[in-house]
Amino acid sequence: MLTFDVLVIGSGGAGMRAALEAVRQQGLSVGLMTKMFPTRSATGCAQGGINGSLQNADPNDSIEKHIFDTVKGSDYLGDQDAIEHFITAMPDAIRELDFLGVPFSRDSEGRIAQRNFGGASSPRTCFSADVTGHVILHALYEQCLQHGVKILADWYLLQLVTDEGKLSGVVAYDLKGGRIVPIAVKAVVIATGGAGRMYWLRTTNPFTSTGDGIAACFEAGIPVKDPEFVQFHPTGLAGTGILMSEASRGEGGYLLNNKGERFMSRYAPKKMELATRDLVSQAIETEIKEGRGFGEGLSAYVQLDLRHLGREKILERLPQIRELAITFEQVDPINEPIPIRPSCHYSMGGIDVIDYKTCATAVDGVFAAGEAACVSIHGANRLGGNSLADIVAFGKFAGLGAATCAKQRGASNESSVDLAAHTWADKFAAVTTRKTGVTTAALRDSLAEIMWNNVGVFRTADEMEAALAVVDRLIAEYQNVMIPDQNKLYNSAFVNYIELGSMLTLAKTVVLGALNRKESRGSHCRADFPSRDDDNFLKHTLVAKQNGEFQVAYRPVVITKYPPAERKY
Amino acid sequence: MRQITYIVTRFDGVKSFTQTYTFPHQPGKTLLWGLITIKETLDSSLAFTAACRAAVCGACAIRVNGQAFLACETPLDGILDRFGDTLTIEPLQNFPVIRDLVVNWEPKAERLAAANTWLKPQDNFSAKEGCKQSVADFKKITPQINCILCGACASECSKLSANSDDFLEPFTYSKVWKFVADSRDKDAAARVKAIVDKGLWKCLHCVECVTKCPKGLAPGEDIARLRQMSIKMGYTDNPGARHAKAFLQDIEDTGRLNETKLSLRTIGMIGSIGKLPFALRLLRRGKLNPLHAPSKVKGHEQIKAILKAVRESEQ
Repeated sequence: MLTFDVLVIGSGGAGMRAALEAVRQQGLSVGLMTKMFPTRSATGCAQGGINGSLQNADPNDSIEKHIFDTVKGSDYLGDQDAIEHFITAMPDAIRELDFLGVPFSRDSEGRIAQRNFGGASSPRTCFSADVTGHVILHALYEQCLQHGVKILADWYLLQLVTDEGKLSGVVAYDLKGGRIVPIAVKAVVIATGGAGRMYWLRTTNPFTSTGDGIAACFEAGIPVKDPEFVQFHPTGLAGTGILMSEASRGEGGYLLNNKGERFMSRYAPKKMELATRDLVSQAIETEIKEGRGFGEGLSAYVQLDLRHLGREKILERLPQIRELAITFEQVDPINEPIPIRPSCHYSMGGIDVIDYKTCATAVDGVFAAGEAACVSIHGANRLGGNSLADIVAFGKFAGLGAATCAKQRGASNESSVDLAAHTWADKFAAVTTRKTGVTTAALRDSLAEIMWNNVGVFRTADEMEAALAVVDRLIAEYQNVMIPDQNKLYNSAFVNYIELGSMLTLAKTVVLGALNRKESRGSHCRADFPSRDDDNFLKHTLVAKQNGEFQVAYRPVVITKYPPAERKY
Repeated sequence: MRQITYIVTRFDGVKSFTQTYTFPHQPGKTLLWGLITIKETLDSSLAFTAACRAAVCGACAIRVNGQAFLACETPLDGILDRFGDTLTIEPLQNFPVIRDLVVNWEPKAERLAAANTWLKPQDNFSAKEGCKQSVADFKKITPQINCILCGACASECSKLSANSDDFLEPFTYSKVWKFVADSRDKDAAARVKAIVDKGLWKCLHCVECVTKCPKGLAPGEDIARLRQMSIKMGYTDNPGARHAKAFLQDIEDTGRLNETKLSLRTIGMIGSIGKLPFALRLLRRGKLNPLHAPSKVKGHEQIKAILKAVRESEQ
């Protein structure tokens, strides 16, 4: 049987950083499994930068300021001990990236350049032009090549196999080889990213952000923490959800409704378009709900108007925005406003990590890092620039944690992994030979529509109850999906089917978390409970599967130095 | 209603075949939209890869009517205007095909790794303190850092198509140049030395890699930079460098190429004898005259002046 001491699943920044750290611990076999090729990961989509208090741009910045900004940004739902551990590690982690080959933009003294970012009290976002995630991803890939990490590209995670709460191994689908493979593993790091694709076309995420690893952990008995906290970016392109960077508003762009009004004057008369992401997203959705948007239903939108900035400024400061708008909306922002609408951007919630120092979960041998994980450091709202920081810091912690664990654990129970693989082979045969049934795409679109309409930027009990009923119905219909392709070789239709299963499961955790959280906090905005309620909800949601049922429980937030206060910007 | 057709080259692991898909046109879509439409409405067995759909992950490069494109960012209407409403869709060339439009990157990754494409930081830098680099030095590697490993350059590379045993993927040369040009790296000399033997002088200058790159890189130019560097470092004892020097000498002497002398200077008398059949074919077609010693071109003095100016500017 194929065996690894440490198997990292997911090859974005968190996964590759974890694999690198694990392989540096001598004497371990380390694998890195990814459902495509390592550099296709969502990390590459991150543009703006990575936060760390290097004090290059501002000598008055400090670790403490970064910690407080993160705590405040999280709307006090982040665990303060974990945040302190995270922020304290960042300056070294960023300088190490430099040493590993990440080409950072520089200041006049040759140090890593830093810029201003949302929610930050000092300029501490390190960057490489507007391709920061891309260069981090590729430098880490280069490092994995150098250190001989065994890369399993085009391998897809099907199941984490556990015995009595301990990891035995993994069942994977080797797409290139056309076979379902049992792998005996002592420790895994799940770094499979977020689940934004449950909103399908209304997300900035790649097609691959389907929450596979989170769902596999959930099925293995690990709770999903704080799933209801989904960040919506205000300015996604109307048709595709593709991100129009916050720089478009930062440079002075206007948001207009169908009356041509700068409607932000009603919601944030002082900050206007430069209010926080939550607030701007909520304002746009209000305009659309009240009939002041363009178009209808899922294709409704408002306009982002850059024309007054002038041709020169657009070409100089926002060239990529312009290219994307022309390519995907056939609109040249120099001449026309861009149709935009909020777009699902980031899952603050994820796999319940119970030890922020090692990224361990409740199942012995299973570790998690990056967007797939919830430590929690982002709480109810993540700051821009803290996600690239998250993946390099916690990727390293998780790699070390998994390596240490693997050294201590004995051999796996191979027979249970083998048995699970056989069950999957049967499942593949069953679903690909079914002659009638619904299609993956039809169910996926229904899911995205109900999630967007009823569990989007604004939420109410009635709408979410209705969404829960629909998600339950889709989960039932999912049992009848047919995949008219029996070829075992690179069967992407089968992968899409499993991905949909993951999204349905996680969508249900989002709805349950949101329905039960009767307050508004960070990205979770309830029209029927518009205020934050620290008395009852200063706690993490934990949705777990027990005896086949979804159960909701809570855990207190860790408060160390910063008592909850009202969040004002 | 206007219909468009994708004729797709497919492979199911055993046999290759083409399959024709026709579906309604929609304005303002991309090449990738067409593939997704086929998969979701006509044939779920069609295999292709795509992820970010914003031209940054490199997953969706395919060939359309014999040219590589990044499917997600390529407007379909522009392609239809250019090629008509029927398109032939193939996987990238010069990659092993796994299934349909999905190609295997593993062998390419191995060749990339064999070229030591990772930073070897200078000894005065450390993991703890990081590195230092001037703004100007960062700018020197800015185009190369934008490579997304989509494979478009490798697909269209004429040299790889002819023989991939003695030549690397164009993106690999760009990566090597990226590290040679990176002021943080301590290994520029060893990198250049190693790449001379990895096909550096085999590029055919077809410039397909430059015109097909969706991110504005110019691997062909990076190859030229590596060649210049190798000559400066004294790696002149190879046919490629000798050819370049002989070429330059001809230009300097007369402003014209003298093919016979070029061959003798590049691969020597023995080597040139081996090329006799080729020379005879050239002769027969009137492309080579060994008895003709070209006279100086008009304006030869200006050519010399240009060469002098270039040499001075490099000092």
